[in-house]
Amino acid sequence: MERSRLLPLAHFWAAFLSFLPGIGLGMYQMLMRSPLPAPLDDPNAYYASVTAHGSIMAYVFPTLFAMGFGYAVTVSALGRPLKGEKWAWVGFFLVVIGAITALVPVAAGRASVLYTFYPPLIGSTFYYLGVALVIIGSYFWVVLTIVNFRAWKRENPGRPVPLAMYATTACAFLWGWTALGATSEVVFQILPASLGWLHTIDAGLARTLFSITLHAIVYFWLIPAYIAFYTLMPQVAGGRLYSDTMGRITFILFLLFAIPVGMHHLLMDPEHGSGFKFVQSVLTFIVALPTLLTVFTITASMEIAGRARGGKGLFGWIRALPWGEPMVLAVGLALLLLAPGGFGGLVNMSYGMNAMIHNTSWVPAHFHLIFAGVVVTMYFAIAYELWPRLTGRPLVSKRKACVQLWLWCSGMLIMTVPWHIAGLMGQPRRYAIFDYSDPLVGKTALLDTLSVVGGAIIVCSVLLFFYILVRSSFAPKAQSISPIRYALSVNPPATVPPLLNGFAFWNILLLVLMVASYGYPIGQFFFLHNQNAPVHSLTQEIKR
Amino acid sequence: MSPGGGRFHPHHPMHFVAVAAIVALLVIGFGLGFLLMPRHQGEHDLPTAKEAARHALGFHTHGNSSGSIQSSAKVPTYVAWTETTLQQARSGDPKRGEFIALNCTTCHVEQALTSDSRIPNLGGLDPLVMYKQLDDFRSGTRLSGPMSAIAQSLTPQQYADVAAYFAKQAGLPENGGERMPRNNSSYRNDDPVQKLIYAGDPKRGIAACASCHGPGGYLIGAPALSNQNALYIEQQLQAFAQGTRVNDMNMPMRSIASLLTPSEMNSLASAYSKGPERLK
Repeated sequence: MERSRLLPLAHFWAAFLSFLPGIGLGMYQMLMRSPLPAPLDDPNAYYASVTAHGSIMAYVFPTLFAMGFGYAVTVSALGRPLKGEKWAWVGFFLVVIGAITALVPVAAGRASVLYTFYPPLIGSTFYYLGVALVIIGSYFWVVLTIVNFRAWKRENPGRPVPLAMYATTACAFLWGWTALGATSEVVFQILPASLGWLHTIDAGLARTLFSITLHAIVYFWLIPAYIAFYTLMPQVAGGRLYSDTMGRITFILFLLFAIPVGMHHLLMDPEHGSGFKFVQSVLTFIVALPTLLTVFTITASMEIAGRARGGKGLFGWIRALPWGEPMVLAVGLALLLLAPGGFGGLVNMSYGMNAMIHNTSWVPAHFHLIFAGVVVTMYFAIAYELWPRLTGRPLVSKRKACVQLWLWCSGMLIMTVPWHIAGLMGQPRRYAIFDYSDPLVGKTALLDTLSVVGGAIIVCSVLLFFYILVRSSFAPKAQSISPIRYALSVNPPATVPPLLNGFAFWNILLLVLMVASYGYPIGQFFFLHNQNAPVHSLTQEIKR
Repeated sequence: MSPGGGRFHPHHPMHFVAVAAIVALLVIGFGLGFLLMPRHQGEHDLPTAKEAARHALGFHTHGNSSGSIQSSAKVPTYVAWTETTLQQARSGDPKRGEFIALNCTTCHVEQALTSDSRIPNLGGLDPLVMYKQLDDFRSGTRLSGPMSAIAQSLTPQQYADVAAYFAKQAGLPENGGERMPRNNSSYRNDDPVQKLIYAGDPKRGIAACASCHGPGGYLIGAPALSNQNALYIEQQLQAFAQGTRVNDMNMPMRSIASLLTPSEMNSLASAYSKGPERLK
């Protein structure tokens, strides 16, 4: 069993070690954009930093975390060793090697293309190869998860797959599908351009392919957090999950509607007509459904726990919940942040309202609130929950862990609320420097300074997080630590309909949705007038 | 139960509900997006469903209706950075170029890094820049008696050859693509010239010179300016400002130069001519 613990632990350590410099870079970027003094005040340094911050926080950190958590769930939920563990290690090392390969040219200032690539900007080939390796490594996890899921089902005919495993497999399918967009962009368009084989590139096609990945990647990050909502929190809170079926439907809806909606990131782009933008906006609204289902189910599960602990009255159950448990506190805080974050998302996906906030600070404010606010808060809580089980040593202090979560979430709010407001005032995103002596820009000076304060609180929170992890790793071994237990639902299912126990049918429906929503938008580039842009190589030497 | 979660059974109620919901969603989405919205939003005159759908696919007709009165645009350059042009401009043979360059060195004296010259230093110039300028001299979008005559006597392949030759010569600085950070490249710098070079002046709508001309920045068709002759730079800025030089695509130089004061032009030219090490 020792070896199977090492696998998730290695993933978690690698994830958090990449997270640490990512946080530092984020802090530097905020200083650059603020009226406060910043070291190395050079836009080139800023864009290198944004590229590194984005690549770490969007590709490396959550991928490693989702993989590690996925392996932990596969072993613990199915109650048996992982099939193909050797391959899991191969995948892990590919991700780590890929991350280093990608980040070295970024640090050298040779790949400041931002993590979303933005062709016709083209950086060092090694950056793209590194990102591709990260994706390839993650595909080992996708395949292994599906293999383990199938093997268990074959050997346990008629039994419902545990919800945690079902959701992990949904996440694997989701990532398997959605990574195809960015992968084809890198393989067929960007790498040939960065190698000098092509002098022009179809930026419209590249953006469209990337949009397949760009939205659903968020759900790839999010599903581990939702797994904790559904299967870990009710158990820790001392209650039961309100509904197992609701959980399954939620994860199926994520799989179906996270991907054929990416074009709402291109609402202002000229390469598509309004028709498909509208269709995908309609589909995007459906993605709000699984989140609403979750908010309902999780609140209901918390109420069950609160009442089981003796809470009375309309709201008395809230006070009865064990808020000293990091997992319970994290879910409460994450749900609080999900409300403004989700609301902002509804604005972004609306064809008309999007025009007002397009390319403003509102957009990074939104995705920091959702990803850093909701998702990473849950990653912390998952780490606190799993650490004792993986290391065999108790957590050094649950109280400190709760302080850390409070710091993180309040810092995140103090940082992102001013960004939202500045965005509504028209402050552009992706700008390295602002001339605050300009009266129009000067209006946001206070807001930007406030967000730096939020950032500083976040940095403190991360330092505390590392303190807790490191101290706990060196704590004396505990006599016994209870194995991880997943929450039972109020009515534990003896059987579930085959549709809610597998994915074949849903994958076919997803294929139909993808063809309907992306078939023409991608196909048009192959028969309409070719509109390639000259490759703008960042490593191109002006002389020779 | 099938291992993959069940194949499609149209009579099974759950299968039916799922498929019907997806179909309904697509019908609503496509119906609104392709038929209703294009016809009832905006001022388009789209009487048929086919026209509405075409509009929604992005085939717009507004802007090129036959009745519009618009004079033909003045073309700043006939060079477009297409795959063919880029390949040709980069395919020069420096050996053949050296022979052609014998014509150039009379005025563009080799190794002559005299900053008081009105004639630009060509050593180390990006081949794409030289290719474009020669083509502009040929087509008359950039004016110069001697240069027009020379450019008209050469073929585009010869532009590429001579450009390849000059690119290999010493002179203008190499930009290896490194964008190593340096301090004081923002509005926090108090030196007004440095500020213009590295940060620009957004209050006047002036972009940073360095973002296209280096150090640290690069744009296809924009020359590196460090080490270039000061008088030449200043004269070109004046020409752009006065509209006597008009061969910049999308007019970045005409708009920026027209916003600079004469003393700013002078200080910028002098700062750039001192070379990258001195640009601090």
